Amino acid sequence: MKKVPVLIVILGLFISCGQRRQEQAAPAVALVMKTLNNPFFMDMQQGAEEAAKTLQLPLIVQAAERELDVEKQMQIIENLIQRKVAAICLTPAGSREVIPAILKANQAGIPVLILDTRVDSAALAEAGGEVATFIGSDNFDGGRIAGERIIEKLGGEGRVAILEGIPGHETGDSRLRGFHHAAGQAKGIRIVASQTANWERDQGYNVFQNILQSHPDVQAVFGCNDMMALGAVEAIAAAGRTADILVVGFDAITDAREAIAAGRMEASIAQNPREMGRLAVENAARLIRGEKIPVYIPVRIELVQK
Amino acid sequence: MRAKSLFLQHGRQFGTLIVLILLSAALWALSPHFMSLSNWLNIAQQTAINAIIAAGMTFVIISAGIDLSVGSILALSGVVMAGALQAGVPVPLAILLCLAVGSLCGSANGLLIARGKLPPFIATLGMMSVARGAALIFSDGRPVSGFTPGFRAIANGEFLAIPVPVWIMAAVYLLAHLVLNRTTLGRYTYAIGGNEEATLLSGVNVRRYKTLVYSLAGLLSGLAAVLLTARLNSAQPIAGINYELDAIAATVIGGTSLLGGEGHILGTLIGAFIMGVLRNGLNLLGVSSFVQQTVIGAVIIIAVLLDMAMKKRRS
Repeated sequence: MKKVPVLIVILGLFISCGQRRQEQAAPAVALVMKTLNNPFFMDMQQGAEEAAKTLQLPLIVQAAERELDVEKQMQIIENLIQRKVAAICLTPAGSREVIPAILKANQAGIPVLILDTRVDSAALAEAGGEVATFIGSDNFDGGRIAGERIIEKLGGEGRVAILEGIPGHETGDSRLRGFHHAAGQAKGIRIVASQTANWERDQGYNVFQNILQSHPDVQAVFGCNDMMALGAVEAIAAAGRTADILVVGFDAITDAREAIAAGRMEASIAQNPREMGRLAVENAARLIRGEKIPVYIPVRIELVQK
Repeated sequence: MRAKSLFLQHGRQFGTLIVLILLSAALWALSPHFMSLSNWLNIAQQTAINAIIAAGMTFVIISAGIDLSVGSILALSGVVMAGALQAGVPVPLAILLCLAVGSLCGSANGLLIARGKLPPFIATLGMMSVARGAALIFSDGRPVSGFTPGFRAIANGEFLAIPVPVWIMAAVYLLAHLVLNRTTLGRYTYAIGGNEEATLLSGVNVRRYKTLVYSLAGLLSGLAAVLLTARLNSAQPIAGINYELDAIAATVIGGTSLLGGEGHILGTLIGAFIMGVLRNGLNLLGVSSFVQQTVIGAVIIIAVLLDMAMKKRRS
């Protein structure tokens, strides 16, 4: 008899989780992100939810617990196919790893809109898959703008460090290439260290602290995202050198904007995830109505500075 | 005596099975998409990788050990196999290599524990870091992707309308069940977990069987790596993070005691399915991933509580 209350708890748990979703019988749009615990994706979700509300479209938002968990993202997509959603807006956790999941959606006749991170187009074509569109910014361009900003502030010469994202990921690699492109134009710029901090704030702190040990004369650092750049900002503050090392990040998340306003950080590149979310849902709705949409929908990029 | 212990064993599985059935019934009531053949095949496919690792974990835990390195071993054997495949090594050989790397890492665990007398927690914690690092070194931190359709068929192929990974999972559990219940390895695994001292005194080569148990866990991690790599068409050096926790959870939900000496392989399979059904159901219902983690954690606790309560009533 002891187990009866336990069973009631389990059932109750489920009913409370599911009740709100019962009425969502209309064709729904799904937004699958890399993770929910990064401000960038929270902004994206907000944009998508606003658009869904305006269009009166049911929206399902799902994400893996960890940012690069491609297997979990694949499971989510498989489950959404079972749920028979009308369109999937996807921020790939891996540019190639996500292709088998896209193929499955293709087979089920569900259009896939790619956001933020591009899919490896050669590998996708080879696998015979297709995506409806890419909605995002040009990361190469963002990296170039960040590089130009640092060159300008340093007066064309100086020692620069880079905090890279996880290698092999399209977003980070493009930003890095854009930055190198800009740095290559200025003869006096020397890149003294380029290390990955795996997109994370605590690792950004530790890695930059180590770089400061080996290169105490470094004058600027470019973080391929704000989380790592903010880690570096803290490491620099801990070393008491806030005044003489420039930090430029990427994404312009709220924390970074505050650091820029407070003069602890030089600049960041704004990608506007909210607009990505909005455009994703709006274009998904157009697809569902049977309209055609462009294969590339650019989202504007801008330098955020004091 | 034997009849009673058998009854107890099945009693334990019965408890977990009730949880699985209840969960399924609740999800059936809540989502119109849950109770379909295609969704169940979907769940089985998603469960296969965790279930295969958990089968090895069950042996380890029954022997009163723990293996924290399974996820890292998966990553290392995966990238080594991927490297071999890209270098033009034929598929069967590359798969053998993958299984060999997994078994070798497992044997290293086993030797450290059985001969080096290291506590399993420490030995496998070390291996977790060593194998992860080795995977990153080998692959230069980058995912290795793009394989032949023949290799990918391991994950997306079907045999008699059932996906290949599900067949592999079934075969692993059939074999594991036979090994655990019909062979000396199985008997000594229980004996070592129940009372290592007594087993040693009765003349059993405890070192050898302990090493074998960890090698088996490594081998199954290697097998899971084959499935995961084929599924994603890519081997990632950062794959398999937290997989050890999923495998331990499936084993414990399945009624295996962390103290060792008792447990049942089919319970683990049910445990893995409980986790798979939960994740699938919560996705179908559109529950946020934050809430999902909480619910999964709560169900693990409830399942074990329920299981313990039923066991107490029976004994």
